[in-house]
Amino acid sequence: MLVLKEVRKCYGDLTAVDGLSLEVRRGEIFGLLGPNGAGKTTTVHIAVGMLKPDTGSVSIEGLGSPDLPEVRAHLGVAPQSLALYDALTGEQNLRFFGRIYGLSGRRLVERITWALDFVALADRRRDAVRTYSGGMKRRLNLAAALIHDPDLILLDEPTVGVDPQSRNSIFDNILALKRQGRTIVYTTHYMEEAERLCDRVAIIDRGRVLALDSVQRLLSAHGGQPVLVAEISGKTVRVGTDNPLAELNRMAAASPIERFWVERSSLEQVFLNLTGRNLRD
Amino acid sequence: MRAILALAIKDLQILIRVRAGLFFTFVWPFLVAILFGVMFSGSGRESSKIGIAVVDEDASIGSADFISRLEKGGKFDILQTTRDNATSLVRRGKRTAALVFPRGFGEALSRVFYGDPPRAEILIDPSRKAESAMMEGLLFQQAAEGMQKFFSDRTASQQMIHKALNDLGATPNIASQERESVGRFLGDLDKVLGSAPQQQARPGEASQWQPLKIEEKEIAPEQSGPRNSFDVTFPQGIIWGIIGCVMTFGIGIVTERTHGTLARLQIAPLTRAQLLGGKALACFVSIFIVQAGLFIVGRAFFKVYPTSVMLLMLACISVSVAFVGIMMLVSSLGKTEQAAAGAGWAAILPMSMLGGGMVPLFAMPSWMKTASQFSPVKWAILALEGALWRGFTLQEMLLPCAILLAIGMACFLIGSRTFRALS
Repeated sequence: MLVLKEVRKCYGDLTAVDGLSLEVRRGEIFGLLGPNGAGKTTTVHIAVGMLKPDTGSVSIEGLGSPDLPEVRAHLGVAPQSLALYDALTGEQNLRFFGRIYGLSGRRLVERITWALDFVALADRRRDAVRTYSGGMKRRLNLAAALIHDPDLILLDEPTVGVDPQSRNSIFDNILALKRQGRTIVYTTHYMEEAERLCDRVAIIDRGRVLALDSVQRLLSAHGGQPVLVAEISGKTVRVGTDNPLAELNRMAAASPIERFWVERSSLEQVFLNLTGRNLRD
Repeated sequence: MRAILALAIKDLQILIRVRAGLFFTFVWPFLVAILFGVMFSGSGRESSKIGIAVVDEDASIGSADFISRLEKGGKFDILQTTRDNATSLVRRGKRTAALVFPRGFGEALSRVFYGDPPRAEILIDPSRKAESAMMEGLLFQQAAEGMQKFFSDRTASQQMIHKALNDLGATPNIASQERESVGRFLGDLDKVLGSAPQQQARPGEASQWQPLKIEEKEIAPEQSGPRNSFDVTFPQGIIWGIIGCVMTFGIGIVTERTHGTLARLQIAPLTRAQLLGGKALACFVSIFIVQAGLFIVGRAFFKVYPTSVMLLMLACISVSVAFVGIMMLVSSLGKTEQAAAGAGWAAILPMSMLGGGMVPLFAMPSWMKTASQFSPVKWAILALEGALWRGFTLQEMLLPCAILLAIGMACFLIGSRTFRALS
């Protein structure tokens, strides 16, 4: 659906994207996971044609380069910085974005109604956006990305500064879009979001893809063994093992266990193992 | 085109919803135009009388009486003068019209029911048809009232009839049939007046007579200055409205850049030309609305009207193009709203002061007039005034309009290049 090949983008001495290649498959939620400054947003900007790469290429399946306005018409983008007009109402914002994507008449009205219902803002449609909460603005930002019913949706950190209720609402929206067959590129630095939502994840750091696979495979390949933690005679014992149950049986045979639990590896651990740094450093 | 319209509609919606921008764009210009116009017009209240020059070439009791009745009627502000001076006053717009009572007016006034009626001339600018019609109506009313006076004063009427009968007998060039018919009628009328009790004549009785013959003569106006203070303050008000548009839309582009909406638009299926076209169209429409609104109000209430509608359209379009370009330039003067607003006002205020936005061009000292050549505001005001009261021909209008178009295109080019670099 979306292919980036050996993409490189520099700002003076700073290399924001360094020979990055990836392929997003139709119908999947593809995560771009990395710390702030890893190059996620630059990658998204290149993918949607807002920035031209210094080298490398970008193409949308069956359409071509997003440099072309007619190709961009098939993309839905919710940028990280809210791109809304505060003085206008939610409905006026959506009407405007619908119009610039070529919608008009009954189709435009239908899409506005659908989008407002989808993000649960129908009751606030006539209120100025400046009166919305941060979470409501994020939801409207998402609605503006969806107004023209795009095939490929790029969501750049869509939950930044959002309350838990709105975050869950956005997650539900994204999963609903996946069920409708949409392809979604989701950038985040929250590993929990990537684990919860994404079919495949590319872990990015310093403009390069460090690893790309399903969450389970990334955990298996780079997360290390699960850790069995047990308290025996007031002491905590940690044992890395691929078979926590067998190890627990072995320990219990030796001495009574007061408490135990298993620590599974996470994408945080994957990132730590790949870079030697924490994801939120 | 649909995308450009969508962008323009969005910007106009934002303008309407941002009260400060709305005030300075659409309300402030009216305040400037009207308040300053009232201040400079002296008492602030124009006389409701029609200012006319009156030339009494007849210098008879009848003409003096007619003029006196006109004056007492309260509809005219009368200045008695010579024909030459009256013509000059009308030509220079100092008087709405001149009313001339030629020799024989009083004599004709005393002749009833025969011979030529009293004749008066109206000298007036042919474009002032409404005033001309109103004057004719008022003059006929005065003449009819004269007839009413004739019927209500029985003694005077009988004296007049006797005089008329004598004149009729002494006048040789009247057909015998007419002499006989008028003589019989006047004799019968004399008998009726002699036997009837004294009573007021009913106005309708005289309405079928033609008591006055009016000849209208056209006087081409010579525009040597504004007709009133509003001729000056309305173009100035327009300039302030345009400045409001320029700053609002210029800063609006910077806001789009800093708030991320511009980046969002660049991701949309829009070309840069469409993006700039939408911005330019919204600003153009706003500027045009400001101009149209002020001219409509000026025409309706303040006697501000163009000498040529086509030239005014040309001026308005040229002014709009120039300031759309300047708006684009303002948007490139800073990376933040504060920087662009500061630089924008720093550039536009002196431009307006020098260009006649505050002090009228004709009232400027010579050094200021020279400096004003470099201000687009000067050319905008000159073009607007040219179509209003300076009486520009098309050739005269071409210079300010060409300069305005050149300024607009140059500024737009520079602004759009910087826009590209900044975004």
